[in-house]
Amino acid sequence: MLNIDAKYRNILPPLIGVALVFLLALLAPFITGHDPVHMSISERMAPPSMEHLLGQDNYGRDIFSRLLYGARVSIAVALFSALSAGILGITIGIIGGYFGGIAELITVRLADIILSFPPILLALLIVTILGPGVETLGLVLTILYMPGYARVAYGETLSMRQLEFVEAARALGSPTWRILALTILPNILGPLIVQFSLTVSSAVLIESGLSFLGLGVVPPDPSWGLMIREARAYMVYTPMPLLWPCIALTITVLAVNSLCDALRDFYDPRAVSTNFLANLAKTLIYAPIAKDYSQIDAQKAESALLSTSGLRTEFVTPKGRIRASNDVSFTVAPGETVALVGESGSGKTITGLSVLGLVPEPLGKMTSGQVALRSKSDEIICIEELDDEGLQQVRGDEIAMVFQEPMSSLNPVYPVGEQIAESLRYHRKISRPQALLTAVDLLESVGISDPAKRIKDYPHQMSGGMQQRVMIAMALSCSPSLIIADEPTTALDVTIQAQILELLRNIRNQENRSFGMLFITHNLGVVAEIADRVLVMYCGRIVESGPVSNLFRSPAHPYTKGLLASIPHIDHSSGDRQPLYAIPGTVPALDELPPGCAFAPRCNLAIEACVQELPELEVVGDGHWSRCPRWRELRG
Amino acid sequence: MWRYIIKRVFIALMLVFVVTSIVFLVIHLIPGDPAMLLLSGGGVDPAPEVVDAMRRRLGLDLPIWTQYINYVTGILQGDFGTSFQDDHPVAEEIAKRLPRTIELILAATALSILIGVPLGILAALQHGKYVDRTLALGAGLMLSVPVFVTGTLMVLLFAQELRWVPAGGFVAFSRDPVQHLIFLLMPAATIAIGFSAAIFRMTRTTVLETLKRDWVRTARAKGLPRSVVIRRHVVRNAMGPVMTVIGLQMGTLLGGTVLVEYVFNWPGLSGFLVVAVESRDYPEVQGIILVISFLFIMLNLLVDLLYSVLDPRIRLE
Repeated sequence: MLNIDAKYRNILPPLIGVALVFLLALLAPFITGHDPVHMSISERMAPPSMEHLLGQDNYGRDIFSRLLYGARVSIAVALFSALSAGILGITIGIIGGYFGGIAELITVRLADIILSFPPILLALLIVTILGPGVETLGLVLTILYMPGYARVAYGETLSMRQLEFVEAARALGSPTWRILALTILPNILGPLIVQFSLTVSSAVLIESGLSFLGLGVVPPDPSWGLMIREARAYMVYTPMPLLWPCIALTITVLAVNSLCDALRDFYDPRAVSTNFLANLAKTLIYAPIAKDYSQIDAQKAESALLSTSGLRTEFVTPKGRIRASNDVSFTVAPGETVALVGESGSGKTITGLSVLGLVPEPLGKMTSGQVALRSKSDEIICIEELDDEGLQQVRGDEIAMVFQEPMSSLNPVYPVGEQIAESLRYHRKISRPQALLTAVDLLESVGISDPAKRIKDYPHQMSGGMQQRVMIAMALSCSPSLIIADEPTTALDVTIQAQILELLRNIRNQENRSFGMLFITHNLGVVAEIADRVLVMYCGRIVESGPVSNLFRSPAHPYTKGLLASIPHIDHSSGDRQPLYAIPGTVPALDELPPGCAFAPRCNLAIEACVQELPELEVVGDGHWSRCPRWRELRG
Repeated sequence: MWRYIIKRVFIALMLVFVVTSIVFLVIHLIPGDPAMLLLSGGGVDPAPEVVDAMRRRLGLDLPIWTQYINYVTGILQGDFGTSFQDDHPVAEEIAKRLPRTIELILAATALSILIGVPLGILAALQHGKYVDRTLALGAGLMLSVPVFVTGTLMVLLFAQELRWVPAGGFVAFSRDPVQHLIFLLMPAATIAIGFSAAIFRMTRTTVLETLKRDWVRTARAKGLPRSVVIRRHVVRNAMGPVMTVIGLQMGTLLGGTVLVEYVFNWPGLSGFLVVAVESRDYPEVQGIILVISFLFIMLNLLVDLLYSVLDPRIRLE
């Protein structure tokens, strides 16, 4: 069995197709003994026979051999022009990109101008002067494709110029031509290969198109375009001489085009790829939802606003399935602010999204656990059992969310007022003007001055702090009982951060708005300011939870202790700076989690049991849990 | 906003100037005597008197600056010279045929948008599923069939075999509107096969990109119904880039209609270009190419301005 790296698997089929066409063209004299231009008037339009596999055309020429030799012409013209245009264009582009200045002006602007011309027009202009023929075609196509290469090479070189290894080569005193040819060129080859295949496909099309018009290859030389042109005259009598070159041409272009697509996917994984996700979709086999009850405080759950139990959210990645959050259980009481703390990648955002059923599908999915919400009408809603419509009613109305990046979380094409009003229109079923009036009040309540005017502003006309105030106004619009704030201050300037925190605290303390808040952050300073209780997450699990003062005063998990120790700290009495503590080691990748405690490899208290099996949650104080079997030693 | 418009218009005018100059220069840049080149062919060298006459006729005997000034003043007055064959003013013929080419392009674009945009949105929303993969496969195939192959095969099938429609031709709309539209249908559909596939791909990619945007998540978090999220926060945002590409591609169609007009005997500007090139009627070729290039540049300008209307970030800059 051939064992091919998955990376190359998508390139191989079209590559084989293209190679086959090239091979048939190359070996034409060995495959057929017939001369493609030999006429035989007595055998005009003869049907297929053993001697003439595809029959003969209106001059009695062998169609099969004309097809094969036609491929030679197409490919020769395409390869010649793609190569010569490539050599010229790449040289121009690299020089323009590397040196800048006048070289840049001439090469790139000139290329832009040629590119702003419909290609076939330029071709026809030159054919008018030089007359048709294979040589003219080669010249025309070279001029036509040069700018495309120049532009790609220019852009790539520009981004390469400042990279370290290019700088290094320059510092080492390599001659410029060496840097260009041996350092830069090999590194920008990928996009140029894509450009090459695009050019070949386009050249085949233009050659056949011009030949079809009688302005390309000159008869009696065979060319697919020319064959179609000639066969058109008698297609009513026998359509096959017309169909063969049509099929050959289409297959060739299709093969080259799919090679282009595959190469593009290969060299530019950022582009939306059909293959990658299609393959992933096939591997999406999730474990059935298991009822996985974990220890939650039964008393608390009863009066809780939100209680989750055994929440598990999984993602499919190229490396396999990973658990972004695992066995996450917590509660939020009415009016309470619970902080969910952890480093990036610890699963805190995914936990927040899971509560609202917003995990990005199809790659991610909440695979087990329950989320129960006490609605405003005092009913218990099981969110994980809701269908789309049920979720829509909960989102924005019962639970609202404030996101990290206000700029990208607001839609750039609508004024902010419209975006605030949207929620109200769908949940409250009120008219647009009414909703906009409410939006004005909401903007005022989040401290935006002149709100009647500002609702007409677009997001990009506001500062980051203002945008986040808009997001908060949006979240408040339907008076939700729970707000999930996902790092609402992280993307903002420090002074603005304080203002937004202040705003959230003030709003929460207002009598007419009582809502619980799940505050997701990595910043323990923020936690101390706003939270009543803290949940500490590490590698998808909650490792410690407790009231904020207890947890800060006497942490019961080595990870929490490490986090607290790494807060920058200045001793005010002496003015001395304490050396900043850093937890040793790094966070393990989620696909390589150890079987036991995920923190064990970095923990100086870890014992054999920690590595072997997952520690249970233990009560360490009033409403205070830890997933560390050695919490006594830690506090000791 | 006004600064942006003025800047774009200025760039477009510069481009018109450069293109005009290039079209003028091409005949001089190609090695050899242009008059000789235009008359050569068939392996026989033309007689010197004929070459001289041609040189005078094209004004090639004048100094190059005088030639250039004559050429530009001519264009500014709408004078593109006269045809070699019948001394007919080129501008007149262009004026007669241009609307037909524009009509064909508009019809083909409308048809392509109607097919490509909805299917592109559908494929993106069904990403990775059967519908998406089938549509993407179909689009790949449709993009690979050369336009003259599609055209010829459509003539063979619908005109010759099935006899549903005429093989090609033209009737003025004022004379017989129904027949006019029937003649328009086949060339427009031929262009639309490839063009709708291009629009489909573009729409699909853009919608997929937009679906990943944070504001879409915000819209979902607000509890908006799925249809509203798709319409207001995905499709509306994706249409800016899609319309830009459609506009730019329409520009390429200005050249691409050459083959289709030829296949269907549509008496537009591009088909006329083929005749002009065949007879190597330089003034005609030059005039047609200039007019198409102007249109192309104006279309790009229009797309730019339209885009600024669709995207407030540019509008208010």
